[in-house]
Amino acid sequence: MTTVSAIEFGGPAVRRQSLWRYWRGGLRGSEFTWALAFLVPYIGVFVAFVAYPVFYGLWMGSKPSLYAEVFSDPIYQQTVVNTIVFVAFGVNLKLFFALLLSGFFMRPGWWVKALLMIFVLPWAVPELPGFISIHWMLNGEWGLLNNALYQFFGIDGPSWLNSRWLALGSAVCSHVWRWLPFWTVILLAGRMSIPTEIYDAAKVDGATGLRRFAHVSFPLLANLYLVLTLLATIFLLGNFNTVYFITGGGPANSTHLLATLGIRDAFDLANPRLGVAVVMSALPLLIPLVIILIRRIKNAEVQL
Amino acid sequence: MTILTRRSVLRSSLGLAAAGALARPYIANAAATTAEVWFAQGFVPEEDSAFLAMVADYQKASGNTIDQSTIPYAALRQKAVSAIQSGAVPDMIEVADFYLGPLQAWDDKLVDLSDIVEPAKAQYVSSALPCCYFYNNVAKKRGYYVLPMKIAAVPFHIWTSLVEKGGSKIADLPKTWDAFLDFFMPVQDGLRAKGMRNVYAYGYQLTANGVDPENTFDAFMIAYGGKDFITPDGKLHTDDPQIKDACVKALVKLTTPFKKGYVPPGVVNWNDADDNNAFHSKLMVMDFDGTISTEVALYHKKDEYDDILTHGMPLSNDGKELPSQISLFGPVIPKGAKNVAVAKELAKYMIQPKVLNQYLKAGLGRWALPIPEIVNSDPFWLKEDAHRTAYTTQSVLSPTVPIYEAYNPAIAEVGAEHVFMVAVFDVLNNGVAPEAAIDKAFKRAEEIFAKYPIQQA
Repeated sequence: MTTVSAIEFGGPAVRRQSLWRYWRGGLRGSEFTWALAFLVPYIGVFVAFVAYPVFYGLWMGSKPSLYAEVFSDPIYQQTVVNTIVFVAFGVNLKLFFALLLSGFFMRPGWWVKALLMIFVLPWAVPELPGFISIHWMLNGEWGLLNNALYQFFGIDGPSWLNSRWLALGSAVCSHVWRWLPFWTVILLAGRMSIPTEIYDAAKVDGATGLRRFAHVSFPLLANLYLVLTLLATIFLLGNFNTVYFITGGGPANSTHLLATLGIRDAFDLANPRLGVAVVMSALPLLIPLVIILIRRIKNAEVQL
Repeated sequence: MTILTRRSVLRSSLGLAAAGALARPYIANAAATTAEVWFAQGFVPEEDSAFLAMVADYQKASGNTIDQSTIPYAALRQKAVSAIQSGAVPDMIEVADFYLGPLQAWDDKLVDLSDIVEPAKAQYVSSALPCCYFYNNVAKKRGYYVLPMKIAAVPFHIWTSLVEKGGSKIADLPKTWDAFLDFFMPVQDGLRAKGMRNVYAYGYQLTANGVDPENTFDAFMIAYGGKDFITPDGKLHTDDPQIKDACVKALVKLTTPFKKGYVPPGVVNWNDADDNNAFHSKLMVMDFDGTISTEVALYHKKDEYDDILTHGMPLSNDGKELPSQISLFGPVIPKGAKNVAVAKELAKYMIQPKVLNQYLKAGLGRWALPIPEIVNSDPFWLKEDAHRTAYTTQSVLSPTVPIYEAYNPAIAEVGAEHVFMVAVFDVLNNGVAPEAAIDKAFKRAEEIFAKYPIQQA
């Protein structure tokens, strides 16, 4: 194809050609066809497995009457409270301990590295067998935990899964156990990216121990910590496995989270639209979190 | 090495498209004789083998092909709901719970099987058939939407060795309801006195998981005179003082042993199979659980199998026969199925008395046969095995009532929400009086029933 001269034929032709070239990404002839051939499968997969399910879900939960039904369900109200409690404790405990432990794992020595290897095991173990085992371990009468308490201390432990708060607490602890290594490793990487010169300078200025953490480590990790908190919150808002396999939403439906209640409504009540509506009801909280997260990530890039 | 050019790609694509177009009639012909069938996985391998054998026999007899899958029942339910929601349905799905059939029939999502069931009605236990006869809220009439194949009741399962060890005798088992249930408390006392620290009298499923809790509460309610909680016209009778009295008594009878320490405290959060597991570990003397899956799971452990006593319903407190609540399971054909003709033909084949008998027998008789004539004539059901005899007698030959879901699908939602187990929990953990807990449960049940108005003929 010959290039059209703007001098010879005037402005509009140049604009048309520029737009066409812009749309083709600067590619010429068969390059563009090949690029399209490689792109089409990806677009197909994206439309089929990302865009379509999302829009189908939005469509399923689009009837206002569904929300009236959701809000009138007495279980829904305590489920919202459970979700807030679960997310608040789950995220903050996990990240606070991860922050502390990442400092510990920064210490030199082969045994610290060996310990780190053991520490990441809960994360490496498949999630479902892990949670099912915990469910059995927490059985009040025959579980490992209470039998150990009886054998070693002669005391009968409580029925861990029989009261709402104890069961929800057990689920939070199990979640923290499972995911603590993951977030610790991320914060460890964050700490390792802090130049040692800064610590050396701080040492010269007399900042050691807690003061070094407060005035050097934490300010430099703060943005990462905030991003991780947002990310963990988004993850946990849709968490299903922990409660489903530890408490089963019980006793008497008192420990459901939005995700487990949504599944119950979708499949036990055979009402998928209602289930989607339950999960969708978290969107007013979820969308602002995603927006803040994206903004913070942009800021983080500028700072780095 | 072949060089990939734009022309070669286009040529290959056109070739594939042409091959697809030419092969289409042949694929369509194959599809016309093929039906996709999803069945629930059995509790023991023999059940799955029995299903596969029945399918193989049908394929041989008909020349059709059955593309079958056996799926664990909880996963099957999710798969079924998803398929019906999306419209990408198989030709036949087995219903393995109380809820799917009535709720989907209400929404007009199932094919009416009345043309298959009506001609075969005479062969069935008459009180069982309503379990498959659901209301369609679009057509505004009832029809048979589930193929009646397997009957299930809820028997008592008792470890005879634990009863003896606890200082009692099976021969002394009382005949009437309250006395029968109370018999097991001294047994636990006797076992505890012998140092068996964690053995309990009862394994009642007082949880908000699965269908066992609903079975349990309904049986207790019926035992105290609450049979007409829902009547065949689909009406809820929470305004009837006799029903309320029965519900309160049922609640008290279930929660009192718990409070006294005769029920494992963990039952309030058990999973569907936890009672089976605990019973098999001899951690409770008696369990009340649907079908004889508890026994059949130990079929190859002769000593343990024979150690269990399967017991039907005792008499009521005033000495009358108590009806057992029964359910009738089988497959449905979802609307939108591609090959309804083959699915219906398979359905007709499966409910032939001989075929059905052979299928259920090969599955070790976990499900009883809903055909009294064969039950009485084939020694397998009443003469060869004590568990089967007790269970078949209870579910086929003794007085029975259908599950309430047959009358109104609203109760499926009440059951899925475990409204009465929430009442149990309110009494056990929240200190609520039984009457108040039942009032709260009734209020919720009424709210749910208001969503399911049934037009009377």
